[in-house]
Amino acid sequence: MKGLARRWGFWCLVVLTIAAILGERLFAASPGDQVAAPFSKPIWLGRYLPPTMELRLTADSPSATLDWRYSPPSGLSLRVEGPAGETGRFVELVRPGSPPLRLAPVREGFAADGRDIAFKRSLGLPPFKDASAHLFPERGEYVLSLTDGPSFEGSVVVRLEGGRYGLLGTDQRGRDAAALFVTGIRVSLIVGLFAALLATLLGTSLGLAAGYLGGWVDAVLMRTVDLLLSIPLLPVLMALAALWGRGLWQLVLILSVFSWMGTARTVRSLILSLRDAPYIEGLRGLGASSGYILRRHLLPETFPVLLATMTLGVPGAILSEAGLSFLGLSDPRVISWGRMLHEAHSFGAFAAGAWWLLIPPGTGISILCLAFLDVGKHLEETADPRLRRSRT
Amino acid sequence: MSYWARRVSGAALVLGMVLALNFALFRMMPGDPVTSVMDPDFSPEARERLRQVYGLDRPLYAQFALYVKSTLSFDFGVSFLTGRPVADELRSRVPNTAALLGTSLLLSASLGTWLGMKAALRRGSLLERCVLWSGALSFSFPSFFVQLVLLMALASALPLFPLRGSLSVPPPEGGWGFALDYVHHLALPVLSLTLLGFGGWAIYVRNLAVKVMGEDFILMARARGLPRRRILLGHVFRTMLPTLLTLLLMSLPGVVSGAVITETVFSLHGVGRFLLEAVTGHDYPAAGAAFFLLSLLTVACNLLADLLYSVVDPRVRLDRSAR
Repeated sequence: MKGLARRWGFWCLVVLTIAAILGERLFAASPGDQVAAPFSKPIWLGRYLPPTMELRLTADSPSATLDWRYSPPSGLSLRVEGPAGETGRFVELVRPGSPPLRLAPVREGFAADGRDIAFKRSLGLPPFKDASAHLFPERGEYVLSLTDGPSFEGSVVVRLEGGRYGLLGTDQRGRDAAALFVTGIRVSLIVGLFAALLATLLGTSLGLAAGYLGGWVDAVLMRTVDLLLSIPLLPVLMALAALWGRGLWQLVLILSVFSWMGTARTVRSLILSLRDAPYIEGLRGLGASSGYILRRHLLPETFPVLLATMTLGVPGAILSEAGLSFLGLSDPRVISWGRMLHEAHSFGAFAAGAWWLLIPPGTGISILCLAFLDVGKHLEETADPRLRRSRT
Repeated sequence: MSYWARRVSGAALVLGMVLALNFALFRMMPGDPVTSVMDPDFSPEARERLRQVYGLDRPLYAQFALYVKSTLSFDFGVSFLTGRPVADELRSRVPNTAALLGTSLLLSASLGTWLGMKAALRRGSLLERCVLWSGALSFSFPSFFVQLVLLMALASALPLFPLRGSLSVPPPEGGWGFALDYVHHLALPVLSLTLLGFGGWAIYVRNLAVKVMGEDFILMARARGLPRRRILLGHVFRTMLPTLLTLLLMSLPGVVSGAVITETVFSLHGVGRFLLEAVTGHDYPAAGAAFFLLSLLTVACNLLADLLYSVVDPRVRLDRSAR
């Protein structure tokens, strides 16, 4: 255990696991919600883009001044909250160098969006473009205010969609990419760990059977291993994923059924080398049954090696899951890193130049895999100290 | 059994399993195959007639025999999606996939072997450390991620390469223009596969070369005063050659799997993307045919590698009993 604490991979896994457990609780909104305009950039990128802002106009503070130093907002919406009745008031926008423009009447329940054609027509704007580009055409001082009128208890909320949001921006549906990224850890971890665990169990039992029983069992199993290793697996996985349904657990099952071969080979060769060891022969001479020898002596011998092969098998499962999700063969409701890359590839992130949707999930997968490889290498060295020499 | 009989029967066994798997997957799909081409308003007689036309009234083993016979004669039936024969659809795609995989495998194997030998000669140098790192990275980076980054950097942000497709639309006239356009479209996919593939090769070659160079017969060769070049090529590399061929053989299924992803990322007109479209569109005849062709490609390459192996290491041709 002491050696493990000195491995970066171990600490990396600890941090990622904590993040996976906390998941969406780290974020205000649920990861499926739209929080900002599609393809918003990360907040630390593109200072010329406005952040998202929400202005509240009431009878007490009827105007707000905006020192606009950005390109036009990517969206605009306006709604009246609280009891208003027919106030006769209007929301007005004063643009630099133009007369005041009446945006909307302050009437109970009124709501408008910069994309509504009726709203644009009422302002005399062309119907096919977003109103916000016309309302905020240049830099300068803008004043949003309520005109005078009878008393008014509620408030008018004006929301300007920015082009920047959160740590990692937003995707094509305006979802927070940072929240998606953190939620995606969970799928990779679950699929990787459980598929590797199941594959190890399967491989161990088949390897034990082949190694200890020998004969035709051995021949059949090892031929099966050879066969499975010589056909391209991804097409089989694709067909199964498409036929069997796309849920997380089906995927775990499919992946483990097709990745036990390595473990079976390792266990078999280990058992073959142990089977004729003098102490096993002695046990047999003392009348121990095959089941007892397998359970109490051969199986425990394989444990350290199994732990290592299992950990080293996790990256393969993670990469396969990511590959299938990238091909669009995963449940669209389950957020995973592969799915994020699939959506980036299929839904216009390239045209938008949205590299921030590409780099985080991809590096996430790689770092997770490297961390498991690092820990696995450590476990392997613990199981077989001879390997340690080769590092120098 | 002779060497060749064993090899060929092994390949036939793989193909047989692929066919059985194909047949089973096709059977597993929800509903009767007839229901997907039939109107629900059909009368029971018409339904029965249709079942007869498709051979579904015959026993399962007869259906399997029929399936094997038609598949082996490259008659894959008609695509559910396009209504055209699947064989025609595939014919134009096989050369593209073969060109993509062949070129990239050749490039990454030769680059990896060269770098691995260099690294083994200069133990502890910067080059060796770079080789070791590139190997570790290529094992843990998802191929599609690297390809997407390359695509975004070299085709989208910096438009050096085309963003998608195997040819421009419309393709340029004339032999040279056509060839140039094809190579231009293939360049980035091949580059990405080479980048992803050479690291693993280099690490393997380096480890193997280090081991071989520690052998006594290399010391002997050096003591005899043979030129360095001759030791490297005639002794070290010659000893490694059979093992390298085994590596090539073992990497083939993974390479073929990679074709699906690569062709999807770069929207190439190949068998892999055809398979994906067929699978997502529940076009079972097309999916089965594409899977069969990819497996056939693997098996054929395996046999070719066996042939090469028996040339570089004639011992394997000997019978076990004769030895």
